[in-house]
Amino acid sequence: MAVSLLKVENLSHSFKLTKKLSIMAVKNVSFDIRHGEILGLVGESGSGKSTIARCVMNIYKNQAGRIIFDGIDCTDKAEFKAGKKKLQRERQLIFQDNASSLNQRMKVCDIIAEPMRIHHIKPKHGTYLDEAAFQLKYVGMDESYLNKYPSELSGGQRQRVAIARAVSMEPKLLVADEPIASLDVSIQAQIINLFKHLRAEHGFSILFIAHDLSMVRYLCDRVGVMYRGNLVELAATEELYLNPLHPYTKALMSAIPIPDPILEKSRKRIDFDNISYSPSGKFTEVLPGHFVLN
Amino acid sequence: MNYKKSKLLYYGSKLLIFIVSVFVLSLLVFYVSRLAPGDPLLSYYGERVEKMSVEEKNIAREKLGLNEPIYIQYGKWLKGAVQGDFGISYKYKQDVLEVISQRALNTLILGGIGYILIFLGALALGIICAWNEDKWIDKLLCKLGTFSCCIPEFWYSLLLILIFCVSLRWLPSSGAYSIGKSGDIGDRILHLILPMAVVLLNHPWYYGYMVRNKLLDETRADYVLLGKSKGQSKAKIMFAHCLRNIMPSYISLMAISVPHVIGGTYIAETVFAYPGLGTLSYESAKFADYNMLMVLCIMTGIVVIFFNMIGQIINERIDPRIRGMESLEGLEVSES
Amino acid sequence: MSDNELFSIVGIRENEKTAVSENKRKESFPIISVIVLSVLCLLCLFAGLISTKDPSYLDLLNYNKPPNSEFLFGTDTLGRDIFSCIWHGGRISIFIGFFATAISTFIAIVYGSISGMAPKWLDGILMRFTEILLSVPELLLIIFIQAILGPANVLSISVVIGLTSWCGIAKVVRTEVRQLREAEYVLASRSMGGGFFHLMSQHLAPNFVSSIMFMVVMNIRGAIVAESTLSFMGMGLPLNIVSWGSMLSLAEKALMTKSWWIILIPGAFLVCLLMCVTNIGNYLRKSVNRGESYL
Repeated sequence: MAVSLLKVENLSHSFKLTKKLSIMAVKNVSFDIRHGEILGLVGESGSGKSTIARCVMNIYKNQAGRIIFDGIDCTDKAEFKAGKKKLQRERQLIFQDNASSLNQRMKVCDIIAEPMRIHHIKPKHGTYLDEAAFQLKYVGMDESYLNKYPSELSGGQRQRVAIARAVSMEPKLLVADEPIASLDVSIQAQIINLFKHLRAEHGFSILFIAHDLSMVRYLCDRVGVMYRGNLVELAATEELYLNPLHPYTKALMSAIPIPDPILEKSRKRIDFDNISYSPSGKFTEVLPGHFVLN
Repeated sequence: MNYKKSKLLYYGSKLLIFIVSVFVLSLLVFYVSRLAPGDPLLSYYGERVEKMSVEEKNIAREKLGLNEPIYIQYGKWLKGAVQGDFGISYKYKQDVLEVISQRALNTLILGGIGYILIFLGALALGIICAWNEDKWIDKLLCKLGTFSCCIPEFWYSLLLILIFCVSLRWLPSSGAYSIGKSGDIGDRILHLILPMAVVLLNHPWYYGYMVRNKLLDETRADYVLLGKSKGQSKAKIMFAHCLRNIMPSYISLMAISVPHVIGGTYIAETVFAYPGLGTLSYESAKFADYNMLMVLCIMTGIVVIFFNMIGQIINERIDPRIRGMESLEGLEVSES
Repeated sequence: MSDNELFSIVGIRENEKTAVSENKRKESFPIISVIVLSVLCLLCLFAGLISTKDPSYLDLLNYNKPPNSEFLFGTDTLGRDIFSCIWHGGRISIFIGFFATAISTFIAIVYGSISGMAPKWLDGILMRFTEILLSVPELLLIIFIQAILGPANVLSISVVIGLTSWCGIAKVVRTEVRQLREAEYVLASRSMGGGFFHLMSQHLAPNFVSSIMFMVVMNIRGAIVAESTLSFMGMGLPLNIVSWGSMLSLAEKALMTKSWWIILIPGAFLVCLLMCVTNIGNYLRKSVNRGESYL
């Protein structure tokens, strides 16, 4: 088994609503991502997927648990400081809302070159502009877009620019926070293919967060299922889709539409009693590589 | 949590913020007033200081506590102020509060009536403009408003005096009443017309424009379409829905406008020599009556802070989203 | 493998380019205001060349004269030529407007940015403080400080006006910064390692400049009004420093002698200047692009 690139242990995070009330967005979550692996995270809205992404990127202050990236413990202040430059370069984030993740007042070339400028990296292909052009081409757009503003691009193109910005640093880990949720279906397929292509070319590891179960099945190597801040099940993709063990996962899987009208008619929805269920118990390895919370 | 208790807590915290704000304001103003590069004795004894000997001056300083550090002076002042003793006005040789209370009613009449009229006038202007969006009356009122906003209040006043007092001789140009007619209400109203006109000509336009813009934004909302498809009339949608929705922001706008209206009232008072707090502050600035000026600043500030607070409370009471926060406690949450 | 083949799956389908129609309903450029304003500024700048008389010369033989061929705008109650005074006074009035605004804008941006980036409790205290400052009417505050500082000159009055009029802009800057700092591109930049100054100069400042531009221009207007009101009341610039406000401080005497020109002419110039500034400010306000009304 390959060594993990990212290891998350017992991560918890809560948000304050008022002085006395707080909501636990993520409870006691543990998983790891291996080198060159695409790990999918699925779950309903508000189940804490994005919070995990932001915790992994150290955008939120860590509250409990440990996050170890490539041997660096990000939750340890001293270690984090020492490895800050490396961490900032080797982990990159892609957002869901492609309109707000790009500054409307910057041109595409400046957006792509921004991380290089921050880190004072000498571009490989001559000037920053050339480098930006190369990266843009790499994600499938031609140079004519370099001098445009994000508002002049379509949603898919903006997402490509965001990906180019992240990829330009040649990171080891890409955290993609619902990168396809705001795109229409044909563009989703393009972006998914782009991710596959990038992984094959570069060997990035990707933490891929999505709603769309079919897309996740197509793209990811392993999949984790989130429910109310808990990671309830984690397994290799086919294993999870064919043999779901947790009641919530079972219900979730039964909700996937089947693109065959005859089979679709006979598809049975399994109801999940979400009122009486309260996630508790231990996260244990039931089958080899198949973890369930029970 | 007990509902009554939380309500008490709510008003308690508001009161606390109010008191702290007033305290900081008075501290600030007190320190500024002690910054005066001139001899502070001047504000107590005026011209007489020059005739005093060095010893006399020292005794006077000691008596007034001017040799002590500022924070001790402030402490003493505050102690007096809490008991209603704000010191003596040098110019009037009277208790500051007494002088102010003689004038306050006049300002209250001018400012209070003016404020209510501005409040209603701006709303009316805004509705007229929004109702006739992009028609000639809307454009005319907007242009007129822009023009009117550009005329400084004091020049407005001069213009009115020039037209109505000097040329036409219709109205009196100064004071609150003619000599010997202090009880004559008609005469007082005559004196009130011009200052009131200045206050009213200058202020409602801007707020009316804000109301218009807010209303126009509302008319683009989907619920208007729904109301229309149900067959509701234009007036019903406008008054029952749009207007109701902009009320919270209008109330906060009017709360913020209080210092501007007071400032405008003060200027109008000064030009028309109308015996109110504005003229008083002008006179006390002119005659270096710092103690009076300081108290006037603090009192005006207190009124404004009070109005802001009222505006906030009204808003929080009528806004269902803020009210909704109270029922959040029913949600599935954990105590941290 | 050529590039084309490589990206046959990954690449995008070339869409036909559709022209972006520019039908944004924007207020038309205030060309008249800009021209009038620049002419006014130029005339004031070259006041020495234009004015026919020395503005400080008290012509005791010709006081209170209505406009005639020698004194184009007449003379005031002290016998000064109003035509010359207008240009020299405009210089002072406009300078105070710009200088006071520069001071207040600088303070506002620094204060607003700090408050916007600060943790919640500090932000609360800083904003409460501006509310307290805003609670005293601006003019009363200026009068108060000016009365304490003693006789005014051009610089001191600008500083006092600047020091008392920054709260409004600071609040807007703070709100914008607070909203922007949660924007995802700021998060992205921060997680890439962008520091405070990088964020400020690259992401925050370009975005809030457009929303404070309107207020900055309105602050120029406010400063000019404040100066003229103060000077008119006799608490700002003294009579011997000519500004449009101090010229109007002779109004009381003028009213008694029915000398309308002493009041109307400087005031008309003042209103004209303020009008131009307002129109330019309105143009700079973020243009609202509304759709059709449903009503």
